Amino acid sequence: MIVPEVLFAIWVSLKTSGLAALLASLLAVPAALFLAARDFRGKRLVLLINQTWMAAPTVVIGLLFYALLSRTGPFGRFGILYTQTAMTVGQVFLILPLIVGFSYTALRQVDRRARTTALTLGASRRQAGWVVLREAKFPLLVAVLAGFARAVSEVGIAMMLGGNIRGQTRNITTTIALETAKGEFTTGVVLGAVLLALTLGINFAVIVGFRSRD
Amino acid sequence: MNDKVYSLERLGYAYPDGALPFTLELEALDVEQGDILALVGPNGAGKTTLLTLLAFLNRPSRGRLLFRGRDPWQDEDLILRARREAVLVTHHPYLFKGTVSDNVAFGLKVRDVPERERPARIAEALDLVELPGWERRPVAGLSAGQAQRVALARALALRPAVLLLDEPTANVDAGLGLRMEAVIREVSRVAGTTVVFSTHNFSQASRLADDILYLSEGRRVEFGHENCFSGRVGTDGRQSWIEPRPGLRIVFPGKAQGRVTCVINPADIRVFPADGTSDLGNAPNAFTGRVTRMETTEAGLALVRVSGDLTFRVTLPVSELGKGDISLSRPVLIKFDPASVDIVGTQPTGSSHD
Repeated sequence: MIVPEVLFAIWVSLKTSGLAALLASLLAVPAALFLAARDFRGKRLVLLINQTWMAAPTVVIGLLFYALLSRTGPFGRFGILYTQTAMTVGQVFLILPLIVGFSYTALRQVDRRARTTALTLGASRRQAGWVVLREAKFPLLVAVLAGFARAVSEVGIAMMLGGNIRGQTRNITTTIALETAKGEFTTGVVLGAVLLALTLGINFAVIVGFRSRD
Repeated sequence: MNDKVYSLERLGYAYPDGALPFTLELEALDVEQGDILALVGPNGAGKTTLLTLLAFLNRPSRGRLLFRGRDPWQDEDLILRARREAVLVTHHPYLFKGTVSDNVAFGLKVRDVPERERPARIAEALDLVELPGWERRPVAGLSAGQAQRVALARALALRPAVLLLDEPTANVDAGLGLRMEAVIREVSRVAGTTVVFSTHNFSQASRLADDILYLSEGRRVEFGHENCFSGRVGTDGRQSWIEPRPGLRIVFPGKAQGRVTCVINPADIRVFPADGTSDLGNAPNAFTGRVTRMETTEAGLALVRVSGDLTFRVTLPVSELGKGDISLSRPVLIKFDPASVDIVGTQPTGSSHD
């Protein structure tokens, strides 16, 4: 296993999972804010579905999106199967319920008076929403990091939707799977350590950076 | 120009989740620019509910709540404008994470007050609540009283047209409470700010307010002007008194001169059954009368009106009614300690008690 290949696999992992975490957060945090702020008919069902979805195996999501994105599937005409885009899309749907769930819990823990205080001080509804997000910024950051960690460490979606194509969609988890299957167990362990160091390092850097600014 | 800041017409409110068993119901209430209105009543009377309605945080279930002659709930922009004029400081205020300055600056930011003006406005507001130089302190370690003062400063910095205060001195000591009262009075006098505040403290309401709205179970309780008496001060060198009626003395500690008004906190008055043979002797502040009105509240309090030579309003736990055999039309004895008499100032001639 040569170093450029490993570096490229790391790059693919960071790029697809980072993008997936970003896109999922853009969808999940407003959804969680809505769920936390509003009571509506069917809300418990929505939360139940979300919690159930959290447990979905990555390979099943990979299979589902494979069916959707394959040439004969409804989105086959886009031709994105076996691309980094497909990996990102699959990972977005993998981590979306996770970030919604964590963000919902974080936002529910914000004192309800935060929003009413903002409103009585003259904030618009949107500004009051921002206040609530700001009050929960650390747990929200943890939710996003948890989503990223889940995406960067999964293998089923990357394998099924990315195809583990060398120099294109091979990321660090699919590389570990491949090397281990080839009997290169030591390489697999080393790459596993690299993945571990990567995720822990990113979490540490983001949290420390955030705390020092706060 | 309409001088009425608020006009309430057949206003009704019930919490959607049934958090409280009553509906706040007020037939009519007008609050004019510069008025100081006190909301007095036991816990659960609806004081805070009314304040949240006046702050446009809750929408009335029925009736109308007009702000400067218009119903803000008809339009989102009107609501935002009304909220920017009427600022509520709650009993347990929420402070945003960060520093004192972050909090006091919040309303200024959302109002787009220029950044260069903000430090002076923040410093001025903190001076008013006796927290000068506290801008950089994190709010995390503040005591309840300090948090309440920061919240008050946060509201004062906005120079609002209406200041809504939920028990504004509940978390501060008596001396500071009096100084905060002075600040509230001064803000109202100088800036013409309308103030509506809630309190359990009848004396505070009498000291501070132009008008008092007594609430019980979400409804206005009309008691007239009981417990408020005027008269010329007499003294024998040992104690002072006024005679609201010839021969009837209300004794109070300390010295005063001229014609004064005093109030007696209804919770400080004791009521006992009288058997007709009671000898009041020379006991200070002891009067006879009959129970002419009784109400009980959800909070387990009884509101009793006793009419005799003078009329008093008394609040006491409902449990004491049975123990003391207090019932409607019953002749009773009223007593209160001279220390519970508050002198609240001079009163125009002719306003003495019925």
